[in-house]
Amino acid sequence: MNKRILRDCLPRLAVFAAAVLLWECFLTRSQNFLLPTFSHVATGLFQLIFLEPRFWEALYISNQALVLGYAASVLVGIPLGLVAARLPWMDRLLNPYFAVLLVMPVAPLIPIVIIALGLGLAARVFIVVSFALVFITINTRAGVRSIEPTLVEMAKSFGATETQIWRRIIVPGALPAIFAGLRIGLGRAITGMVMVELILVASGLGRLLLEFSGRMQSDMVFATVLAVIIEALVLLSAMQFVERRIAPWVPDTSLT
Amino acid sequence: MIRVKNLTKEFGGTDNGGGVLALSDISFEVRDNEFVTVIGPSGCGKTTLLRIIAGLIPYQHGEVSIDAHPVVGPGPERAVVFQSFALLPWTDVLGNVTFGLDVRGATKSDSQAKARDLIRLVGLEGFERRLPKELSGGMQQRVGLARALAVNPRILLMDEPFGALDEQTRRLLQEQLLQLWERERKTVVFITHSMEEAVMLGDRVMLMTPRPGQVKEMIAVPLKRPRPPDIEKSPAFVEIKEYLWENLRAMQTEQP
Amino acid sequence: MKSMTASEAVIKPTAAQNIGSSRTLHRVLHRYAPEVLALLGGAVVWECLGWWLGLQWLPPFSQVIRALVQFVGSGVILSNLQSSLMSLIVGFALSLVFGLVLGALMGRYRVIEKAFDVYVHALFVCPSILFAPIFFAMFGLSDASRVAIIFVYSTFVIVINTATAIRTVDPSLVEMAYSFGCRERQIFTRILLPASLPLVFAGIRLGMGRAVKGMINGEMLIAFVGLGALAQKYGAQFDAAKVFAIAMVVLIIGLVSNAFVQALESRLTRWAD
Repeated sequence: MNKRILRDCLPRLAVFAAAVLLWECFLTRSQNFLLPTFSHVATGLFQLIFLEPRFWEALYISNQALVLGYAASVLVGIPLGLVAARLPWMDRLLNPYFAVLLVMPVAPLIPIVIIALGLGLAARVFIVVSFALVFITINTRAGVRSIEPTLVEMAKSFGATETQIWRRIIVPGALPAIFAGLRIGLGRAITGMVMVELILVASGLGRLLLEFSGRMQSDMVFATVLAVIIEALVLLSAMQFVERRIAPWVPDTSLT
Repeated sequence: MIRVKNLTKEFGGTDNGGGVLALSDISFEVRDNEFVTVIGPSGCGKTTLLRIIAGLIPYQHGEVSIDAHPVVGPGPERAVVFQSFALLPWTDVLGNVTFGLDVRGATKSDSQAKARDLIRLVGLEGFERRLPKELSGGMQQRVGLARALAVNPRILLMDEPFGALDEQTRRLLQEQLLQLWERERKTVVFITHSMEEAVMLGDRVMLMTPRPGQVKEMIAVPLKRPRPPDIEKSPAFVEIKEYLWENLRAMQTEQP
Repeated sequence: MKSMTASEAVIKPTAAQNIGSSRTLHRVLHRYAPEVLALLGGAVVWECLGWWLGLQWLPPFSQVIRALVQFVGSGVILSNLQSSLMSLIVGFALSLVFGLVLGALMGRYRVIEKAFDVYVHALFVCPSILFAPIFFAMFGLSDASRVAIIFVYSTFVIVINTATAIRTVDPSLVEMAYSFGCRERQIFTRILLPASLPLVFAGIRLGMGRAVKGMINGEMLIAFVGLGALAQKYGAQFDAAKVFAIAMVVLIIGLVSNAFVQALESRLTRWAD
């Protein structure tokens, strides 16, 4: 068993080492003396997490939008997806809008949202929602539609009511897709949070990044970005963990 | 002539042991131009044996030789017909039949001419341009057969080739195979699950036992060639079939 | 995090991205009549609300169209479009090469898969926009930054789909080819390559969509040329109609490129279900 873990880890570490090596090579050749070495970034990260109170403050401010926006997306998106899947007329009505919203880039519309809602929390929450909502809805809808019709027929033949069908067949059956949507939605929400921060730079992490880059502290810039990446990965892993506990029968695949 | 002597094959063991013994000390011979059918319960290693003779998998102990040349890999004197047909879905019938020839670098005109002959021989004239997905299972296997015959092998290795087909199609293909074989008597090793098929097609039937795979008996089938119609009703046929069934049933009931 | 190995992940395009595959225009129109009507209805509602509410941020739909036409006519779009598209093509081409090669290697050789799968998966799920400040620090206000962002956006979905495509090729086909005497290279060109085409194309289509998003997102952040810069400029001028028009231009780019890849895909994978 131990030998196998080692055998798996070795190539991964090799790739990591190669990446660090490549980075150092790039540094020596680029003559951009502002760019941090790997160790600079590491110490910068340490500094950021343990020695810089403004980081946690900024994280808190930025994540406010994330939490509120994501919660709103989930609370609206899942019911919307469920309804759209069960009411065919509504489905046909909403479908083209979903399709457009999927392909439509939200980023260029951010200035419009600013015009409408100003520079405060409301605008940031709205943008997070606009990034995440469609994916959650679409995946929920797909999940409901993927349920075998024979299962519903079978339940009806045993006399199940609409509520029972929902509780025992539809919700569990759609759960894998719903979770996929939640996972993707989370990633999208984080993207939205970051997008608006970096474009507006009015508060939170965006402002912090602006300060660091203004003071030519590129190691702190890198460290901050790395910190957000870590946060994203941690959140997504947590979500996957929750999913495994709630719905263990779901196979570990499917990313729309 | 195919000679197998003291063949032993183990799967998945390390130096400390702990693998699965698929075949143990197997010895037999297949004479030139002989049609040998192999039958045995699941897990007796008949498919493994065939793949070893085909040169597709290695073996640990013993000798496997074709005309005194040891088998170390696939070779031009042998061709395989697969249970799942293994046709290239993106190529038409003609392209599939010429596959073996193309791989060996034959010129296009030569290989296509040969292929057309064989396609006519297996009764698929007019279907040269069709894709596999447009053909029934029986037709697909006939393409597989044509492909194997196209490389002019001395030995045909057939791994339950009609196992995936319905009974009617199977019967037709058995008749067709026998007709083809009467024209040109290649050496054939044919794996089957069906006792009736084993007696109908073979000059000898090799009966195998499972766990580990071993040869229990080589049973001669002294029936007339070419097989007359209704041969399966003749007393000699029935006797051999019943003998096979007694043995097979005993093997099944012995299992824990 | 339990890493989903590349061999298990398949990312499928959504229905929206499958639109380009219908055969005749007539059949398309007939089938999608209700949807088209729904969209037209939305446009009408937008128009009415625009006039009625008179909000700065919600101009009537017709004004958006007018701005769009104006753009095309005045050539403003063209010059900015050119620079945007240039970065898009270069960035996407790079991600195609890198993604297909790495994906194929990961699909075929277990060692390589084990080496890279954690990183590929992590880079795929984390928001790609986070790399923008990094590339900006590395390359400054240059095309290289934009190309790099587009690269990061689109590469990993291509890697994952290609790896899965190669790994899930029917093993009996590989065995059959081996039985007829194929060597490693022949197996690759005659079996793995054609068999993996459908899934690989799915990845390419998704990568294309991601590349377009990367293009516009990157430009919003590192905005000095291109459509993103235009959007910023008109946003600062509170000209909502023009900003909507730009969003529509990007939308059209996305749809056209997707349809293009889809057409290519249909011709090359006619044999698939």
